[in-house]
Amino acid sequence: MRDVVPKLSRPLAYTTVMTTLDRLFKKGLLDRHKSDRAFLYSPHLSRQEWERQCAGSLVAGFLSGPSPSRELLLSCLLDAVGEHDARLLDELEKKIRCRRKELIRQGQP
Amino acid sequence: MTLPYLLRMVCLCLASFFVLNAVAALLVRISCKSAIRFAESRAPGTAARFLLALRILPFALAILFVGGLCVPSYLWLEPAATAERVGLLSVVLGLLGALTWSVSVARTAHSLASSLRHNRLCRLVGEEIRVPGESSSLVIVENDAPLLALSGLIRPRLLISSGVLHALSSEELDTALAHEQAHRRSRDNAKRFLLLLAPDIFPFVRPLRTLERAWSKFAEWAADDQAAGGDANRAVSLAAALVHVARMGSAPRLPFLSTSLLACDRDLSARVNRLLQASPIAPARFAPTQARLRTISLLLGAGVAALLLAPSALPLVHELLELFLH
Repeated sequence: MRDVVPKLSRPLAYTTVMTTLDRLFKKGLLDRHKSDRAFLYSPHLSRQEWERQCAGSLVAGFLSGPSPSRELLLSCLLDAVGEHDARLLDELEKKIRCRRKELIRQGQP
Repeated sequence: MTLPYLLRMVCLCLASFFVLNAVAALLVRISCKSAIRFAESRAPGTAARFLLALRILPFALAILFVGGLCVPSYLWLEPAATAERVGLLSVVLGLLGALTWSVSVARTAHSLASSLRHNRLCRLVGEEIRVPGESSSLVIVENDAPLLALSGLIRPRLLISSGVLHALSSEELDTALAHEQAHRRSRDNAKRFLLLLAPDIFPFVRPLRTLERAWSKFAEWAADDQAAGGDANRAVSLAAALVHVARMGSAPRLPFLSTSLLACDRDLSARVNRLLQASPIAPARFAPTQARLRTISLLLGAGVAALLLAPSALPLVHELLELFLH
């Protein structure tokens, strides 16, 4: 609690922070254990796991809908994946070119 | 249910196999995350070997127990030519054991057959050439698909499409082929065969797939390191080959008993970034961790052998089995 309060963007009452953390713990988003007289809170999921879970539930929501919304989602996903793949490959090629130039500068043609 | 002598033994063996395999596999599944984290801190080759050993461990333990203790104790201590009642639980577990085995064997046979079919088809439509100094032959298939793979179990063949041959420069092609040769030297297709044969916890559920995927990733990384051989230029050539092949589109679906240059498409970025890092990773010759792993395996083997040879082991196992049977 002592660590959380000073890091907030705006000042909040100690009890408000305590209630919020307690609610997040009860919702299963935080883990906590007692150390002396204080509670130590830690995230239940890593950022990656949390984002994966959010994306999964969003996609599952769309897929459980009527057929047109399913097709729309799949078509959007395919477009996005295609664009992402091309961008990713461009970035990787750029990195390869940079590394090649670096090796030539170091005298390893 | 009353069963004759031999059928009782079969039921007992299958039930013991199912219980032991399921319990050990469950323990492995629980420790899966920690095991993968531990593997990530090791060299890719060591990590791949460790994860494969962990995946096979439940199957190996169950086979060792059944073959080394169940069968000898039954044959030695169970009076022959008697029919005995067998408990319902034993029969159900025996049936589950039989189902587990059948599913594994069927899966393996299906993969073997599709691998043979695929190789035969590639040889029929392609041109097979011998590569000097290499034991496996190279099959060139007239196709634009991004195909560069090592396929087959006993005599794996290198399959390459003419599209890939034309798309890659000679350095890129050399490192890409070296990557596949590294898979051949590591016998990765034989390891895939073992993965198919080793059953999971239950017949149709595969929670240990997480370990298999992690093994596959580290096997690819180890082959990348071997192909680069600690040379920065070779590492860059291999990275360029990976990107060029990825640009050709999605890889064709290959049988399970094969390794492809772009086996884990999702891992492409991580693989390229590894290859481009400042000091390329040289493949480990014989790391101390490997020596430690070998020592642990030897000690484990010696422990199991001592247990099998102990005079009181077989009667004890027989008593336990009797309890289990009824």
